[in-house]
Amino acid sequence: MEYIVHILIMICIYGILALSLNLLVGYSGLLSLSHAAFYAIGAYTTTLFMMNAEFNFFTALIYGIIVTAISAIFIAYPSLRLKGDYFILTSLGFQLIIFNILYNWVGLTKGPYGIPGIPKPRLFGIEFYSNYLYLLLSIFFFSMVFIFLRLLYNSPFGRALKALREDEIAAGALGKEVPKLKIWAFIIASAIAAIAGALYASYITYIDPTSFTLDESIFIVSILLIGGSGNIKGPLVGTVFMIILPELLRFIGLPNTIAPNVRQMIYGLLLIILMRYRPQGLAGEYRFE
Amino acid sequence: MILQLLINGLVSGALYSVMALGFALIYNTTKIFHIAHGAVYAVSSYAFFASLRLLGLPLALSLILGLLSGTLLGIIIEILVYRPLYQKKASSGVILVSSIGIYIFIINLIALIFGNEIKILAPGIQKTYKYGSIILTQIQIIEIIVFIAVLAIFIFMIRATKFGKLIRALSNNPTLLSTLGIEVLKLRIGIFALGSLLAGITSCLSSWDIGMDPYVGMPMLLLSAVAMIAGGIGIFEAPVLGAFLITITQSVAIWKISSKWQDTITFAILIIFLLVRPQGILGKRKRIEEL
Repeated sequence: MEYIVHILIMICIYGILALSLNLLVGYSGLLSLSHAAFYAIGAYTTTLFMMNAEFNFFTALIYGIIVTAISAIFIAYPSLRLKGDYFILTSLGFQLIIFNILYNWVGLTKGPYGIPGIPKPRLFGIEFYSNYLYLLLSIFFFSMVFIFLRLLYNSPFGRALKALREDEIAAGALGKEVPKLKIWAFIIASAIAAIAGALYASYITYIDPTSFTLDESIFIVSILLIGGSGNIKGPLVGTVFMIILPELLRFIGLPNTIAPNVRQMIYGLLLIILMRYRPQGLAGEYRFE
Repeated sequence: MILQLLINGLVSGALYSVMALGFALIYNTTKIFHIAHGAVYAVSSYAFFASLRLLGLPLALSLILGLLSGTLLGIIIEILVYRPLYQKKASSGVILVSSIGIYIFIINLIALIFGNEIKILAPGIQKTYKYGSIILTQIQIIEIIVFIAVLAIFIFMIRATKFGKLIRALSNNPTLLSTLGIEVLKLRIGIFALGSLLAGITSCLSSWDIGMDPYVGMPMLLLSAVAMIAGGIGIFEAPVLGAFLITITQSVAIWKISSKWQDTITFAILIIFLLVRPQGILGKRKRIEEL
Protein backbone atom coordinates (compact mmCIF):
# COMPACT_ATOMS: atom_id res chain seq x y z
CA MET A 1 0.00 0.00 0.00
CA GLU A 2 2.84 2.37 0.88
CA TYR A 3 4.12 1.63 -2.60
CA ILE A 4 0.90 2.71 -4.31
CA VAL A 5 0.76 5.84 -2.15
CA HIS A 6 4.30 6.67 -3.25
CA ILE A 7 3.37 6.29 -6.91
CA LEU A 8 0.28 8.45 -6.45
CA ILE A 9 2.35 11.19 -4.81
CA MET A 10 4.81 11.09 -7.71
CA ILE A 11 1.91 11.28 -10.17
CA CYS A 12 0.66 14.40 -8.36
CA ILE A 13 4.10 16.04 -8.47
CA TYR A 14 4.75 15.24 -12.11
CA GLY A 15 1.16 16.05 -12.98
CA ILE A 16 1.71 19.55 -11.63
CA LEU A 17 4.92 19.86 -13.66
CA ALA A 18 3.31 18.58 -16.85
CA LEU A 19 0.23 20.78 -16.52
CA SER A 20 2.36 23.86 -15.98
CA LEU A 21 4.72 23.11 -18.84
CA ASN A 22 1.65 22.57 -21.00
CA LEU A 23 1.10 26.31 -20.77
CA LEU A 24 4.39 26.81 -22.62
CA VAL A 25 4.52 23.81 -24.95
CA GLY A 26 0.88 23.23 -25.74
CA TYR A 27 -0.48 26.74 -25.45
CA SER A 28 2.38 29.04 -26.41
CA GLY A 29 4.19 26.64 -28.75
CA LEU A 30 7.49 27.08 -26.88
CA LEU A 31 9.33 23.80 -26.39
CA SER A 32 11.19 24.69 -23.22
CA LEU A 33 13.92 22.37 -21.97
CA SER A 34 14.37 24.31 -18.76
CA HIS A 35 11.43 23.16 -16.67
CA ALA A 36 13.60 21.07 -14.36
CA ALA A 37 15.53 24.27 -13.63
CA PHE A 38 12.40 25.96 -12.29
CA TYR A 39 11.42 22.79 -10.47
CA ALA A 40 14.90 22.97 -8.89
CA ILE A 41 14.72 26.65 -8.01
CA GLY A 42 11.37 26.03 -6.34
CA ALA A 43 12.70 23.04 -4.41
CA TYR A 44 15.90 24.76 -3.31
CA THR A 45 14.46 28.14 -2.34
CA THR A 46 11.62 26.57 -0.37
CA THR A 47 14.07 24.26 1.36
CA LEU A 48 16.54 27.03 2.14
CA PHE A 49 13.81 29.26 3.57
CA MET A 50 12.61 26.35 5.70
CA MET A 51 16.03 25.32 6.95
CA ASN A 52 17.83 28.65 7.28
CA ALA A 53 15.03 31.04 8.14
CA GLU A 54 12.98 28.36 9.94
CA PHE A 55 9.86 29.28 8.03
CA ASN A 56 6.84 27.05 7.92
CA PHE A 57 6.51 25.01 4.69
CA PHE A 58 3.62 27.09 3.43
CA THR A 59 5.30 30.44 4.06
CA ALA A 60 8.53 29.17 2.54
CA LEU A 61 6.58 27.93 -0.45
CA ILE A 62 5.27 31.42 -1.13
CA TYR A 63 8.82 32.77 -1.14
CA GLY A 64 9.88 29.86 -3.33
CA ILE A 65 7.17 30.67 -5.83
CA ILE A 66 8.13 34.34 -5.91
CA VAL A 67 11.85 33.65 -6.44
CA THR A 68 11.12 31.10 -9.16
CA ALA A 69 8.72 33.43 -10.94
CA ILE A 70 11.35 36.17 -10.94
CA SER A 71 14.00 33.82 -12.30
CA ALA A 72 11.63 32.90 -15.13
CA ILE A 73 12.10 36.36 -16.55
CA PHE A 74 15.68 35.44 -17.52
CA ILE A 75 14.40 32.87 -19.97
CA ALA A 76 11.20 34.71 -20.89
CA TYR A 77 13.00 37.67 -22.42
CA PRO A 78 15.19 35.73 -24.85
CA SER A 79 12.09 33.75 -25.86
CA LEU A 80 10.55 36.89 -27.26
CA ARG A 81 13.19 37.10 -29.96
CA LEU A 82 14.28 33.51 -30.48
CA LYS A 83 12.32 31.07 -32.57
CA GLY A 84 12.32 27.32 -32.94
CA ASP A 85 15.67 25.60 -32.57
CA TYR A 86 17.32 28.71 -31.15
CA PHE A 87 14.87 29.02 -28.32
CA ILE A 88 15.17 25.32 -27.52
CA LEU A 89 18.95 25.61 -27.40
CA THR A 90 18.76 28.69 -25.18
CA SER A 91 16.36 27.04 -22.75
CA LEU A 92 18.69 24.08 -22.65
CA GLY A 93 21.53 26.46 -21.86
CA PHE A 94 19.52 28.00 -19.05
CA GLN A 95 18.91 24.53 -17.64
CA LEU A 96 22.64 23.75 -17.68
CA ILE A 97 23.55 27.08 -16.10
CA ILE A 98 21.10 26.53 -13.23
CA PHE A 99 22.48 23.03 -12.74
CA ASN A 100 25.99 24.49 -12.75
CA ILE A 101 24.99 26.95 -10.05
CA LEU A 102 23.31 24.30 -7.89
CA TYR A 103 26.34 22.10 -8.21
CA ASN A 104 29.07 24.67 -7.70
CA TRP A 105 27.67 27.29 -5.34
CA VAL A 106 28.48 25.03 -2.40
CA GLY A 107 28.12 27.83 0.16
CA LEU A 108 24.42 28.16 -0.59
CA THR A 109 23.22 24.86 -2.00
CA LYS A 110 25.79 22.46 -0.45
CA GLY A 111 26.55 21.48 -4.05
CA PRO A 112 26.91 17.75 -4.75
CA TYR A 113 26.50 16.88 -1.05
CA GLY A 114 22.83 17.81 -1.20
CA ILE A 115 20.62 19.02 1.62
CA PRO A 116 19.38 16.29 3.98
CA GLY A 117 16.75 16.46 6.72
CA ILE A 118 14.24 18.77 5.06
CA PRO A 119 11.28 19.16 7.44
CA LYS A 120 7.80 17.97 6.55
CA PRO A 121 5.00 20.52 6.20
CA ARG A 122 3.08 21.37 9.35
CA LEU A 123 -0.37 22.93 9.48
CA PHE A 124 -2.54 23.62 12.56
CA GLY A 125 -0.39 21.30 14.62
CA ILE A 126 -0.65 18.42 12.13
CA GLU A 127 2.65 17.32 10.73
CA PHE A 128 2.34 15.66 7.33
CA TYR A 129 4.68 12.92 8.37
CA SER A 130 2.97 9.77 7.14
CA ASN A 131 2.79 9.20 3.41
CA TYR A 132 -1.00 8.99 3.54
CA LEU A 133 -1.25 12.51 4.90
CA TYR A 134 1.35 13.64 2.39
CA LEU A 135 -0.72 12.14 -0.41
CA LEU A 136 -3.70 14.19 0.78
CA LEU A 137 -1.56 17.32 0.72
CA SER A 138 -0.27 16.47 -2.78
CA ILE A 139 -3.79 15.84 -4.03
CA PHE A 140 -4.84 19.18 -2.55
CA PHE A 141 -2.07 21.03 -4.38
CA PHE A 142 -2.65 19.06 -7.56
CA SER A 143 -6.37 19.88 -7.53
CA MET A 144 -5.68 23.56 -6.88
CA VAL A 145 -3.27 23.66 -9.82
CA PHE A 146 -5.67 21.67 -11.96
CA ILE A 147 -8.61 23.97 -11.26
CA PHE A 148 -6.52 27.10 -11.65
CA LEU A 149 -5.04 25.98 -14.96
CA ARG A 150 -8.36 24.73 -16.25
CA LEU A 151 -9.82 28.16 -15.65
CA LEU A 152 -6.74 29.76 -17.14
CA TYR A 153 -6.72 27.55 -20.26
CA ASN A 154 -10.29 28.54 -20.99
CA SER A 155 -9.89 32.18 -20.07
CA PRO A 156 -9.25 34.95 -22.61
CA PHE A 157 -5.60 34.66 -21.60
CA GLY A 158 -5.48 30.97 -22.54
CA ARG A 159 -7.26 31.56 -25.81
CA ALA A 160 -4.95 34.45 -26.66
CA LEU A 161 -1.97 32.16 -26.04
CA LYS A 162 -3.47 29.59 -28.39
CA ALA A 163 -3.95 32.25 -31.03
CA LEU A 164 -0.34 33.29 -30.63
CA ARG A 165 0.79 29.69 -30.93
CA GLU A 166 -1.04 29.27 -34.21
CA ASP A 167 0.04 32.56 -35.74
CA GLU A 168 2.02 35.07 -33.78
CA ILE A 169 1.82 37.86 -36.33
CA ALA A 170 -1.93 37.52 -36.79
CA ALA A 171 -2.46 37.48 -33.02
CA GLY A 172 -0.35 40.63 -32.74
CA ALA A 173 -2.28 42.28 -35.55
CA LEU A 174 -5.52 41.58 -33.69
CA GLY A 175 -4.25 43.60 -30.78
CA LYS A 176 -2.94 40.82 -28.53
CA GLU A 177 0.19 41.94 -26.73
CA VAL A 178 2.45 39.07 -27.72
CA PRO A 179 5.47 39.88 -25.47
CA LYS A 180 3.31 40.39 -22.41
CA LEU A 181 1.41 37.15 -22.98
CA LYS A 182 4.58 35.13 -23.40
CA ILE A 183 6.25 36.57 -20.33
CA TRP A 184 3.19 35.85 -18.23
CA ALA A 185 3.01 32.32 -19.57
CA PHE A 186 6.57 31.79 -18.41
CA ILE A 187 6.01 33.37 -15.02
CA ILE A 188 2.88 31.31 -14.32
CA ALA A 189 4.36 28.05 -15.62
CA SER A 190 7.51 28.39 -13.54
CA ALA A 191 5.67 29.54 -10.43
CA ILE A 192 3.59 26.35 -10.61
CA ALA A 193 6.70 24.25 -11.19
CA ALA A 194 8.01 25.70 -7.91
CA ILE A 195 5.05 24.12 -6.09
CA ALA A 196 6.03 20.74 -7.50
CA GLY A 197 9.61 21.37 -6.42
CA ALA A 198 8.62 22.20 -2.86
CA LEU A 199 6.37 19.15 -2.64
CA TYR A 200 9.16 16.94 -3.90
CA ALA A 201 11.80 18.34 -1.53
CA SER A 202 9.63 17.98 1.53
CA TYR A 203 8.43 14.53 0.52
CA ILE A 204 11.86 13.00 -0.14
CA THR A 205 13.40 15.18 2.67
CA TYR A 206 16.64 15.29 0.70
CA ILE A 207 17.60 17.17 -2.45
CA ASP A 208 20.76 17.32 -4.49
CA PRO A 209 21.43 18.66 -8.00
CA THR A 210 21.19 15.24 -9.67
CA SER A 211 17.41 15.31 -9.30
CA PHE A 212 17.26 18.35 -11.56
CA THR A 213 19.43 17.53 -14.54
CA LEU A 214 18.87 18.10 -18.23
CA ASP A 215 17.56 14.53 -18.37
CA GLU A 216 14.85 15.56 -15.93
CA SER A 217 13.87 18.43 -18.21
CA ILE A 218 13.76 16.09 -21.15
CA PHE A 219 11.65 13.70 -19.09
CA ILE A 220 9.10 16.41 -18.29
CA VAL A 221 8.95 17.47 -21.93
CA SER A 222 8.56 13.80 -22.93
CA ILE A 223 5.50 13.54 -20.68
CA LEU A 224 3.90 16.25 -22.79
CA LEU A 225 5.11 14.96 -26.12
CA ILE A 226 4.03 11.40 -25.41
CA GLY A 227 0.78 12.23 -23.63
CA GLY A 228 0.04 15.19 -25.80
CA SER A 229 -0.39 18.89 -25.11
CA GLY A 230 -2.68 21.78 -25.84
CA ASN A 231 -5.55 20.47 -23.76
CA ILE A 232 -5.88 19.33 -20.15
CA LYS A 233 -6.16 15.60 -20.95
CA GLY A 234 -2.84 15.13 -22.69
CA PRO A 235 -0.51 16.04 -19.80
CA LEU A 236 -2.49 13.83 -17.41
CA VAL A 237 -2.43 10.82 -19.73
CA GLY A 238 1.30 11.42 -20.26
CA THR A 239 2.05 11.67 -16.54
CA VAL A 240 0.19 8.52 -15.60
CA PHE A 241 1.76 6.63 -18.48
CA MET A 242 5.31 7.80 -17.83
CA ILE A 243 5.19 7.20 -14.07
CA ILE A 244 3.46 3.81 -14.29
CA LEU A 245 5.53 2.40 -17.15
CA PRO A 246 8.67 1.80 -15.03
CA GLU A 247 6.57 0.06 -12.39
CA LEU A 248 5.05 -2.18 -15.05
CA LEU A 249 8.53 -3.03 -16.25
CA ARG A 250 9.37 -4.05 -12.70
CA PHE A 251 6.34 -6.33 -12.62
CA ILE A 252 7.31 -8.18 -15.77
CA GLY A 253 10.51 -9.05 -13.95
CA LEU A 254 13.12 -6.84 -15.58
CA PRO A 255 16.21 -6.88 -13.34
CA ASN A 256 16.83 -3.63 -11.50
CA THR A 257 20.29 -3.23 -12.99
CA ILE A 258 19.04 -2.79 -16.53
CA ALA A 259 15.54 -1.43 -15.88
CA PRO A 260 16.44 2.29 -15.92
CA ASN A 261 18.19 1.98 -19.27
CA VAL A 262 15.43 -0.09 -20.83
CA ARG A 263 12.88 2.43 -19.61
CA GLN A 264 14.80 5.31 -21.18
CA MET A 265 15.13 3.34 -24.42
CA ILE A 266 11.37 2.89 -24.51
CA TYR A 267 10.88 6.64 -23.99
CA GLY A 268 13.31 7.41 -26.79
CA LEU A 269 11.68 4.97 -29.18
CA LEU A 270 8.22 6.30 -28.31
CA LEU A 271 9.34 9.84 -29.08
CA ILE A 272 10.63 8.79 -32.50
CA ILE A 273 7.51 6.80 -33.35
CA LEU A 274 5.05 9.43 -32.10
CA MET A 275 6.82 12.25 -33.93
CA ARG A 276 6.53 10.24 -37.12
CA TYR A 277 2.96 9.01 -36.87
CA ARG A 278 1.18 11.07 -34.25
CA PRO A 279 2.85 14.41 -33.49
CA GLN A 280 0.00 15.43 -31.18
CA GLY A 281 0.83 12.63 -28.74
CA LEU A 282 -1.54 10.03 -27.31
CA ALA A 283 -4.30 12.37 -26.17
CA GLY A 284 -3.18 15.85 -27.11
CA GLU A 285 -4.69 18.44 -29.33
CA TYR A 286 -1.73 20.53 -30.40
CA ARG A 287 0.22 19.15 -33.35
CA PHE A 288 3.68 20.03 -32.31
CA GLU A 289 5.71 22.22 -34.69
CA MET B 1 50.77 29.31 -16.22
CA ILE B 2 48.53 31.44 -18.39
CA LEU B 3 50.59 30.44 -21.43
CA GLN B 4 50.07 26.76 -20.68
CA LEU B 5 46.35 27.31 -20.19
CA LEU B 6 46.11 29.18 -23.47
CA ILE B 7 47.92 26.39 -25.27
CA ASN B 8 45.56 23.85 -23.69
CA GLY B 9 42.65 26.01 -24.83
CA LEU B 10 44.03 26.08 -28.36
CA VAL B 11 44.45 22.31 -28.42
CA SER B 12 40.90 21.70 -27.21
CA GLY B 13 39.71 24.27 -29.71
CA ALA B 14 41.43 22.29 -32.46
CA LEU B 15 39.87 19.07 -31.22
CA TYR B 16 36.33 20.43 -30.84
CA SER B 17 36.51 22.26 -34.18
CA VAL B 18 36.53 18.98 -36.06
CA MET B 19 33.27 17.87 -34.47
CA ALA B 20 31.73 21.33 -34.84
CA LEU B 21 32.54 21.32 -38.56
CA GLY B 22 30.53 18.12 -38.94
CA PHE B 23 27.58 19.36 -36.90
CA ALA B 24 27.46 22.64 -38.82
CA LEU B 25 27.78 20.83 -42.15
CA ILE B 26 24.63 18.87 -41.31
CA TYR B 27 22.74 21.86 -39.92
CA ASN B 28 23.65 24.25 -42.71
CA THR B 29 22.54 21.90 -45.45
CA THR B 30 19.63 19.92 -43.99
CA LYS B 31 18.49 22.36 -41.25
CA ILE B 32 18.33 19.40 -38.88
CA PHE B 33 19.35 20.22 -35.34
CA HIS B 34 21.08 16.90 -35.04
CA ILE B 35 21.06 16.15 -31.28
CA ALA B 36 21.68 12.49 -32.12
CA HIS B 37 25.11 13.63 -33.32
CA GLY B 38 26.06 13.27 -29.65
CA ALA B 39 25.08 9.60 -29.87
CA VAL B 40 27.13 9.14 -33.04
CA TYR B 41 30.03 10.60 -31.09
CA ALA B 42 29.57 8.14 -28.23
CA VAL B 43 29.17 5.16 -30.55
CA SER B 44 32.48 5.94 -32.28
CA SER B 45 34.27 6.02 -28.94
CA TYR B 46 32.73 2.78 -27.76
CA ALA B 47 33.31 0.95 -31.04
CA PHE B 48 36.95 2.05 -30.82
CA PHE B 49 37.09 0.87 -27.21
CA ALA B 50 35.39 -2.46 -27.92
CA SER B 51 37.63 -3.31 -30.85
CA LEU B 52 40.81 -2.36 -29.06
CA ARG B 53 40.22 -3.55 -25.52
CA LEU B 54 37.56 -6.24 -25.76
CA LEU B 55 38.41 -7.85 -29.10
CA GLY B 56 42.11 -7.05 -28.85
CA LEU B 57 42.43 -5.82 -32.43
CA PRO B 58 45.42 -3.70 -33.48
CA LEU B 59 45.24 0.04 -32.87
CA ALA B 60 44.93 1.14 -36.50
CA LEU B 61 42.17 -1.35 -37.26
CA SER B 62 40.27 -0.41 -34.10
CA LEU B 63 40.50 3.23 -35.03
CA ILE B 64 39.09 2.51 -38.48
CA LEU B 65 36.28 0.43 -36.98
CA GLY B 66 35.50 3.23 -34.53
CA LEU B 67 35.26 5.82 -37.28
CA LEU B 68 33.34 3.48 -39.54
CA SER B 69 30.65 2.61 -36.99
CA GLY B 70 29.99 6.29 -36.25
CA THR B 71 29.71 7.02 -39.96
CA LEU B 72 27.38 4.08 -40.51
CA LEU B 73 25.20 5.11 -37.59
CA GLY B 74 24.89 8.61 -39.05
CA ILE B 75 23.74 7.16 -42.36
CA ILE B 76 21.29 4.79 -40.67
CA ILE B 77 19.76 7.62 -38.66
CA GLU B 78 19.27 9.66 -41.82
CA ILE B 79 17.67 6.81 -43.73
CA LEU B 80 15.45 5.43 -40.97
CA VAL B 81 14.38 8.58 -39.17
CA TYR B 82 15.15 11.85 -40.91
CA ARG B 83 14.38 10.87 -44.47
CA PRO B 84 10.72 9.91 -43.86
CA LEU B 85 10.26 13.14 -41.88
CA TYR B 86 11.89 15.12 -44.67
CA GLN B 87 9.57 13.53 -47.21
CA LYS B 88 6.59 14.32 -44.97
CA LYS B 89 7.88 17.92 -44.76
CA ALA B 90 7.80 17.69 -40.96
CA SER B 91 8.51 20.88 -39.01
CA SER B 92 11.93 21.49 -37.46
CA GLY B 93 10.52 20.94 -33.96
CA VAL B 94 9.26 17.46 -34.82
CA ILE B 95 12.65 16.58 -36.29
CA LEU B 96 14.47 17.93 -33.24
CA VAL B 97 12.32 15.90 -30.86
CA SER B 98 12.87 12.77 -32.95
CA SER B 99 16.56 13.50 -32.74
CA ILE B 100 16.34 13.70 -28.94
CA GLY B 101 14.52 10.36 -29.05
CA ILE B 102 17.32 8.78 -31.07
CA TYR B 103 19.90 10.21 -28.70
CA ILE B 104 18.15 8.83 -25.60
CA PHE B 105 17.69 5.43 -27.23
CA ILE B 106 21.30 4.99 -28.34
CA ILE B 107 22.93 6.39 -25.21
CA ASN B 108 20.95 4.06 -23.01
CA LEU B 109 21.71 1.13 -25.28
CA ILE B 110 25.40 1.90 -24.83
CA ALA B 111 24.98 2.19 -21.07
CA LEU B 112 23.13 -1.12 -21.07
CA ILE B 113 25.92 -2.90 -22.92
CA PHE B 114 29.02 -1.25 -21.50
CA GLY B 115 27.86 0.13 -18.15
CA ASN B 116 27.84 3.68 -16.86
CA GLU B 117 31.35 3.93 -15.55
CA ILE B 118 34.23 5.81 -17.17
CA LYS B 119 36.31 3.72 -19.55
CA ILE B 120 39.99 4.40 -20.13
CA LEU B 121 41.53 3.63 -23.48
CA ALA B 122 45.18 4.62 -23.41
CA PRO B 123 47.50 2.50 -21.29
CA GLY B 124 49.77 4.18 -18.77
CA ILE B 125 50.98 7.75 -18.72
CA GLN B 126 51.39 9.58 -21.98
CA LYS B 127 54.68 10.78 -23.33
CA THR B 128 55.15 14.50 -22.86
CA TYR B 129 57.26 17.04 -24.69
CA LYS B 130 58.62 20.18 -23.13
CA TYR B 131 59.12 23.44 -24.99
CA GLY B 132 60.35 26.12 -22.62
CA SER B 133 57.63 26.44 -20.01
CA ILE B 134 55.00 24.65 -22.10
CA ILE B 135 54.28 20.95 -21.80
CA LEU B 136 52.40 19.08 -24.52
CA THR B 137 51.37 15.44 -24.43
CA GLN B 138 51.78 13.22 -27.44
CA ILE B 139 48.05 13.00 -28.06
CA GLN B 140 47.75 16.79 -27.94
CA ILE B 141 50.32 17.07 -30.73
CA ILE B 142 48.44 14.45 -32.76
CA GLU B 143 45.23 16.42 -32.17
CA ILE B 144 46.78 19.56 -33.61
CA ILE B 145 48.15 17.74 -36.66
CA VAL B 146 44.81 16.02 -37.30
CA PHE B 147 42.98 19.32 -36.96
CA ILE B 148 45.20 21.04 -39.53
CA ALA B 149 44.88 18.14 -41.95
CA VAL B 150 41.09 17.90 -41.54
CA LEU B 151 40.59 21.63 -41.94
CA ALA B 152 42.72 21.72 -45.08
CA ILE B 153 40.92 18.77 -46.67
CA PHE B 154 37.52 20.14 -45.59
CA ILE B 155 38.12 23.59 -47.09
CA PHE B 156 39.46 22.06 -50.28
CA MET B 157 36.47 19.77 -50.52
CA ILE B 158 33.89 22.48 -49.90
CA ARG B 159 35.47 24.96 -52.29
CA ALA B 160 36.96 22.88 -55.07
CA THR B 161 35.11 19.60 -55.55
CA LYS B 162 31.77 18.82 -57.16
CA PHE B 163 30.50 17.40 -53.86
CA GLY B 164 31.39 20.69 -52.18
CA LYS B 165 29.60 22.65 -54.84
CA LEU B 166 26.46 20.53 -54.36
CA ILE B 167 26.67 20.99 -50.60
CA ARG B 168 26.87 24.75 -50.94
CA ALA B 169 24.00 24.69 -53.40
CA LEU B 170 21.89 22.62 -51.02
CA SER B 171 22.52 25.07 -48.22
CA ASN B 172 21.53 27.99 -50.45
CA ASN B 173 18.42 26.63 -52.07
CA PRO B 174 17.27 23.07 -51.46
CA THR B 175 14.17 23.32 -53.66
CA LEU B 176 16.05 24.54 -56.71
CA LEU B 177 18.59 21.76 -56.36
CA SER B 178 16.01 19.01 -56.63
CA THR B 179 14.36 20.84 -59.51
CA LEU B 180 17.66 20.70 -61.34
CA GLY B 181 17.59 16.93 -61.12
CA ILE B 182 20.17 16.47 -58.39
CA GLU B 183 19.35 13.55 -56.14
CA VAL B 184 19.03 15.34 -52.84
CA LEU B 185 18.44 12.14 -50.89
CA LYS B 186 21.78 10.70 -52.00
CA LEU B 187 23.49 13.98 -51.29
CA ARG B 188 22.06 13.96 -47.77
CA ILE B 189 23.55 10.52 -47.17
CA GLY B 190 26.94 11.87 -48.18
CA ILE B 191 26.50 14.81 -45.83
CA PHE B 192 25.55 12.61 -42.89
CA ALA B 193 28.43 10.25 -43.61
CA LEU B 194 30.95 13.08 -43.69
CA GLY B 195 29.49 14.87 -40.66
CA SER B 196 29.47 11.68 -38.61
CA LEU B 197 33.00 10.83 -39.67
CA LEU B 198 34.15 14.21 -38.35
CA ALA B 199 32.38 13.56 -35.04
CA GLY B 200 34.09 10.17 -34.94
CA ILE B 201 37.53 11.71 -35.39
CA THR B 202 37.05 14.04 -32.42
CA SER B 203 35.50 11.22 -30.45
CA CYS B 204 38.33 8.72 -30.96
CA LEU B 205 41.04 11.28 -30.24
CA SER B 206 39.30 12.56 -27.15
CA SER B 207 38.57 9.10 -25.77
CA TRP B 208 42.21 8.16 -26.22
CA ASP B 209 43.16 11.31 -24.35
CA ILE B 210 40.70 11.37 -21.44
CA GLY B 211 38.56 8.23 -21.70
CA MET B 212 34.79 8.23 -21.96
CA ASP B 213 31.44 7.38 -20.43
CA PRO B 214 28.10 6.95 -22.28
CA TYR B 215 27.14 10.58 -21.70
CA VAL B 216 30.20 12.27 -23.28
CA GLY B 217 28.31 13.10 -26.44
CA MET B 218 25.91 15.69 -25.06
CA PRO B 219 28.41 18.31 -23.82
CA MET B 220 30.34 17.91 -27.06
CA LEU B 221 27.19 18.35 -29.09
CA LEU B 222 26.20 21.51 -27.23
CA LEU B 223 29.67 22.91 -27.65
CA SER B 224 29.45 22.25 -31.39
CA ALA B 225 26.07 23.94 -31.60
CA VAL B 226 27.31 27.01 -29.75
CA ALA B 227 30.49 27.06 -31.86
CA MET B 228 28.36 27.00 -34.99
CA ILE B 229 26.17 29.89 -33.87
CA ALA B 230 29.11 31.92 -32.59
CA GLY B 231 31.04 31.34 -35.80
CA GLY B 232 28.15 32.14 -38.08
CA ILE B 233 25.39 29.95 -39.45
CA GLY B 234 25.57 29.19 -43.16
CA ILE B 235 29.36 29.44 -43.38
CA PHE B 236 30.92 26.02 -43.41
CA GLU B 237 34.33 26.88 -41.93
CA ALA B 238 33.01 29.33 -39.33
CA PRO B 239 32.51 26.82 -36.45
CA VAL B 240 36.30 26.64 -36.14
CA LEU B 241 36.39 30.26 -35.01
CA GLY B 242 33.49 29.64 -32.65
CA ALA B 243 35.17 26.62 -31.12
CA PHE B 244 38.42 28.50 -30.52
CA LEU B 245 36.52 31.43 -29.04
CA ILE B 246 34.81 29.11 -26.56
CA THR B 247 37.85 27.09 -25.53
CA ILE B 248 40.11 30.11 -25.18
CA THR B 249 37.50 31.93 -23.09
CA GLN B 250 37.20 28.83 -20.97
CA SER B 251 40.93 28.53 -20.42
CA VAL B 252 41.22 32.17 -19.45
CA ALA B 253 38.28 31.57 -17.11
CA ILE B 254 40.08 28.61 -15.54
CA TRP B 255 42.93 30.97 -14.81
CA LYS B 256 40.72 33.70 -13.35
CA ILE B 257 37.79 31.81 -11.81
CA SER B 258 37.66 28.03 -11.82
CA SER B 259 37.09 25.21 -14.25
CA LYS B 260 33.76 24.44 -12.61
CA TRP B 261 31.88 27.10 -14.53
CA GLN B 262 32.60 25.91 -18.06
CA ASP B 263 28.99 25.17 -19.01
CA THR B 264 27.90 28.55 -17.76
CA ILE B 265 30.60 30.22 -19.86
CA THR B 266 29.67 28.27 -22.98
CA PHE B 267 26.04 29.26 -22.71
CA ALA B 268 26.80 32.81 -21.72
CA ILE B 269 28.64 33.01 -25.05
CA LEU B 270 25.61 31.52 -26.80
CA ILE B 271 23.17 33.96 -25.25
CA ILE B 272 25.41 36.97 -25.89
CA PHE B 273 25.75 36.00 -29.53
CA LEU B 274 22.07 35.27 -30.04
CA LEU B 275 21.03 38.56 -28.55
CA VAL B 276 23.82 40.86 -29.74
CA ARG B 277 25.27 39.36 -32.90
CA PRO B 278 22.97 36.58 -34.09
CA GLN B 279 24.77 36.26 -37.42
CA GLY B 280 27.94 35.13 -35.64
CA ILE B 281 31.51 36.31 -36.08
CA LEU B 282 31.70 35.85 -39.83
CA GLY B 283 28.08 36.22 -40.88
CA LYS B 284 26.64 39.12 -42.79
CA ARG B 285 24.50 41.44 -40.74
CA LYS B 286 21.17 39.84 -39.97
CA ARG B 287 18.41 40.13 -37.47
CA ILE B 288 17.65 37.14 -35.29
CA GLU B 289 14.20 36.84 -36.82
CA GLU B 290 15.75 36.04 -40.19
CA LEU B 291 17.81 33.09 -39.03
